[in-house]
Amino acid sequence: MPTRRIFLRNSALAVVGTAAVPSFLTRAAFGVTENAARPKRLVVIFQRGAADGLNIVVPHGEPQYYAMRPSINIPKKSVLDLNGFFGLHPSLAPFHPLWQQRHLAIVHAAGSPDSTRSHFDAQDFMESGTPGVKITEDGWLNRSLHSLPAAPKNSPFRAIALGPSLPRILSGAEPAVAMNNIDDFSLGGKNPKPSRAATAFEAMYDHSSDSVLHTTGEETFDAVKMLKAADPGKYSPAPGANYPKGRFGDSLRQLAQLIKANLGVQIAFADISGWDHHVNEGATEGQLANVLSDFSQSLAAFWTDLGDLGEDTVIVTMSEFGRTARENGNRGTDHGHANVMFILGGPVKGGKVYGRWPGLDQSQLYEGRDLALTTDFRQVIGEAIAMHLGNRNLAQVFPAYDNQPTRFLKLLA
Amino acid sequence: MRPSPTRVALLLLCLSLACAVPQLLARKKDQPADTPNEQKRAVHALNRLTFGARPGDVQQVMAMGVDRWIDLQLHPEKIADKDVEARLEPLRTVRMSTKEILEDFPDGQMVKQVADGKHAMPSDPARRAVYQVQVARFDEKQERKEKKAAAQPPVPAEELAAAAAASADSASPDANAMNAMTTKNAAAEVRVGADAASALRSGATHAALTPQPTPADAAQARRREVRLYTDLKIQALIDLPPNERYKKVLAMSADEQVAFADSLRKGKGQEFLEGLDPRQKEVLQAMNNPPAVVVDELSQAKLLRAVYSERQLEEVMTDFWFNHFNVFIGKGPERLLITNYEQVVIRPHALGKFEDLLVATAKSPAMQFYLDNWLSVGPNSPQTEGLPRRPAVRFGRYGRPRVPRGPNLNSKRKQNSGLNENYGRELLELHTLSVNGGYSQRDVTEVAKVFTGWTIDKPFEGMTFRYDPHMHEPGPKFVLGHRIKPKGEDEGREVLHMLATSPQTAHFISLKLAQRFVSDDPPPALVDRIAKTFQKKKGDIREVLSTLFHSPEFWADGTYRAKVKTPLEFVASAVRATGASVDDALPLVRQLNNMGMPLYGAQPPTGYSMKADTWVSSAALLNRMNFALALTSGKVRGVKVDAVQLVASPTLPPDAVATLSTMEAKLLASDVSKQTHDSILEQLDTPTKNGDKKDKPPQPKPPDVNTMAGLLLGSPEFQRR
Repeated sequence: MPTRRIFLRNSALAVVGTAAVPSFLTRAAFGVTENAARPKRLVVIFQRGAADGLNIVVPHGEPQYYAMRPSINIPKKSVLDLNGFFGLHPSLAPFHPLWQQRHLAIVHAAGSPDSTRSHFDAQDFMESGTPGVKITEDGWLNRSLHSLPAAPKNSPFRAIALGPSLPRILSGAEPAVAMNNIDDFSLGGKNPKPSRAATAFEAMYDHSSDSVLHTTGEETFDAVKMLKAADPGKYSPAPGANYPKGRFGDSLRQLAQLIKANLGVQIAFADISGWDHHVNEGATEGQLANVLSDFSQSLAAFWTDLGDLGEDTVIVTMSEFGRTARENGNRGTDHGHANVMFILGGPVKGGKVYGRWPGLDQSQLYEGRDLALTTDFRQVIGEAIAMHLGNRNLAQVFPAYDNQPTRFLKLLA
Repeated sequence: MRPSPTRVALLLLCLSLACAVPQLLARKKDQPADTPNEQKRAVHALNRLTFGARPGDVQQVMAMGVDRWIDLQLHPEKIADKDVEARLEPLRTVRMSTKEILEDFPDGQMVKQVADGKHAMPSDPARRAVYQVQVARFDEKQERKEKKAAAQPPVPAEELAAAAAASADSASPDANAMNAMTTKNAAAEVRVGADAASALRSGATHAALTPQPTPADAAQARRREVRLYTDLKIQALIDLPPNERYKKVLAMSADEQVAFADSLRKGKGQEFLEGLDPRQKEVLQAMNNPPAVVVDELSQAKLLRAVYSERQLEEVMTDFWFNHFNVFIGKGPERLLITNYEQVVIRPHALGKFEDLLVATAKSPAMQFYLDNWLSVGPNSPQTEGLPRRPAVRFGRYGRPRVPRGPNLNSKRKQNSGLNENYGRELLELHTLSVNGGYSQRDVTEVAKVFTGWTIDKPFEGMTFRYDPHMHEPGPKFVLGHRIKPKGEDEGREVLHMLATSPQTAHFISLKLAQRFVSDDPPPALVDRIAKTFQKKKGDIREVLSTLFHSPEFWADGTYRAKVKTPLEFVASAVRATGASVDDALPLVRQLNNMGMPLYGAQPPTGYSMKADTWVSSAALLNRMNFALALTSGKVRGVKVDAVQLVASPTLPPDAVATLSTMEAKLLASDVSKQTHDSILEQLDTPTKNGDKKDKPPQPKPPDVNTMAGLLLGSPEFQRR
């Protein structure tokens, strides 16, 4: 990977040349070039609001599908066929080349096994990683950092969520940064020279005897300084990385900047809302089609933008539950059960739909109405954490869940 | 004007008094060893029972005696609160009933009813203007839809109508909820959501009712012209006196009013509202987005109360109970229900009996809607069985002959012909027993059956509580080992009583109170003691708090300034500490959105966390520090801080060190670490007492008190209470 080496050397030199840069930054920059192991990244995307998996990756070979959705189905002629049975919603056209290049894999009939159809509970369970248990205080993405070996531990950007506050999934004992906007992530203005106020605050927090505030404060000032030194703003999207306007596109564009600026991002989280279509969901066009365009264009742009760095990146998407197999009386769908997950990345054995398809016959439906679940989302995530990030302590990440490697879908090389 | 001798005398008297007070206090300070202790007690009591101390509060509490002051706070009815009442005066919706709010600030469903001719257009010119715009926007949206539908394969008419009805009543509450949940500005999102409906109007025309395109295009062109012309007209109106301006808008044609309302989108057109009285402003803003007016006023009232109310403990407890019985403003019509939920359901019981509060929340439309109980129908209820209602029942349209389930049943009802366990589960888990309270899934289901029939009358209109026997599950229920005899609505009352008097509930509520007032992980002995009072005094919250405030654990050294402030507590305490004057609370409301704690914007039923780890994140800390600096340098619009005034009473301290010390005393009762103190001095570039700049001569330039105050508000010490 020559391009990468050159990039890192340059950035290391740039770092050395800058005064007042935290030492871990130079350490990280040098360390990476000297170690053969390249840092691995996991990016988790949450589709909040329960995306309609059956209209996203369409089982067009399933006759029941068309019978159950007379007005909102995706006609056979419109789907982007994947394997003769499944096809992508036409708004996922940006995914099609990724599928063909075998970077994109799909797991259908996946999700959380808990039977709840409450957005609140289901999101909570998928973020805590303990379906059915509400008292879990931290999120699985945070726990996945506990036993992560060979990490650039000192980077404040090791775990980052794009948004105003730290989501449930990333909260816990391990340091994690919530960033709403790169431009706002500064203290006392954007002036490259730290303001007096910023220096005073740093002095206060760095030596504060208040352990909680001291720790977060230190992380924060490190992050602010590191961000200023790295100046991720100078990394404009790569040619062809056309992020759509909107919050999700902005999140991924900024995440790409942080990754390209070599800030040591190992775990990242972003979310996209607007999937809860009880009424007038639409078919090839309409509400779902619109949000799918945003979703797929943003992710495809992110992938293009990452370039070589995509080799070490795995992106996993999830949503709290799927939607009813049948359309309802309002040309929409109600809360259901199993859903579809996308896995995109360098080590992904893509171009394949993983998981067992449970079928849509009445007897095959979950509680007589929803797509049944055949893959627990923790199997998919567990494989990414163990095989990609190299954290084998899955019992810690997903307590009380038997996550044997033998149960992995083997979707990572 | 010449000062009269009496005035001079009065002034002198005042001055001498003003000088005497600090002297008295100073003398008191030098007195016995328990005085600093007394000050610490006063600071602690203020930190925990209020949204932060204001200048002079510590002295006042000490003068009254800490225990007496606590007792007074426990009896808010004895505290006059004229200042905050005056500040809330312009926020008219805060005092309205839900019915009045719905009438003046119609939601989608009300608008639809008027648009469909089921409800008359109001005759009052102001209300009429509000409805006229909403109906016009609604019609355009419908036309656009119909036009689009006409271009596609035909859909049965009734299906179209059902779809339209469902979309108009924002029947996908979760859609709203989910959208708002992830944005930094839930309130703004509500606004965006409401705007979105009208934003789709571009291609819509009246003529879409007939498929020919020509008249449609003509109408569209006409509208475009009216709008262009109205924009010019609005510009001309700005120069008129406020009253004239207002009257002209009410006298506009419907098309012009739509164009006017559009001009107020996204907070624009503020200069047009200049000088209008509160009611006039409300009307004009409601023309653009009725529910947003209610949400804005509600949020402002909450901040103004936190900052200015003398009944601080009542406000703290109102916030506590709202959070305990959380509802989310982003879910469907909640934005029009929460005003009453807080005002009528929560606040009157904030220091009352827990059971009364529990029953009030159970029956509140806000809770009924938020946790979906209003839709919950007994699986064997008359409604599910398709039995006819007696003609006497108000909803005559259900009085249909007995038919098997089939296409004759209203399709929407059919969907909702099942048990909804959402409320039953949260009632046990979050409102009373707690997750470890010893209930089973069976109990959840049985409780859900008990509450079938507890619903909302005329959804989206008056929205008051109603018990509907037609929806109620017949037969006995078994809850927590008790057999509940069939007795309709009273089954619910029996279960609520059972839960309110359960020892598990006493323990859970006591634990949460101790977490709010003492520490994130309160000592079990303390929780047990409060829980005992809870049971002995039958859930009397005032008694429970009294026990808590007189417990040694509450006063323990380790408790002092041990709690990290939530964003609301931080913002309110910063405004209070600086004695800032708030002319417009909305910019402060927006700060809370940035800090991840939008008011009324906690989406899950658990509400916001009271624990430190939730609120100490990088983005949050940066936001706090930046807010502190912005506040003290006058960069938060609508809020004025006079830092000089803060330190200059009675006289400006001689140098930077003295100024800082005075500031520390004012803002943090001098509880400032050496580290923080030195860091500030260092950065103000003034010689420190024993720093390494000793050899330099003292600099004459006056210290920057604004930055000084900002640094103190952003310091680690100020993040705790």
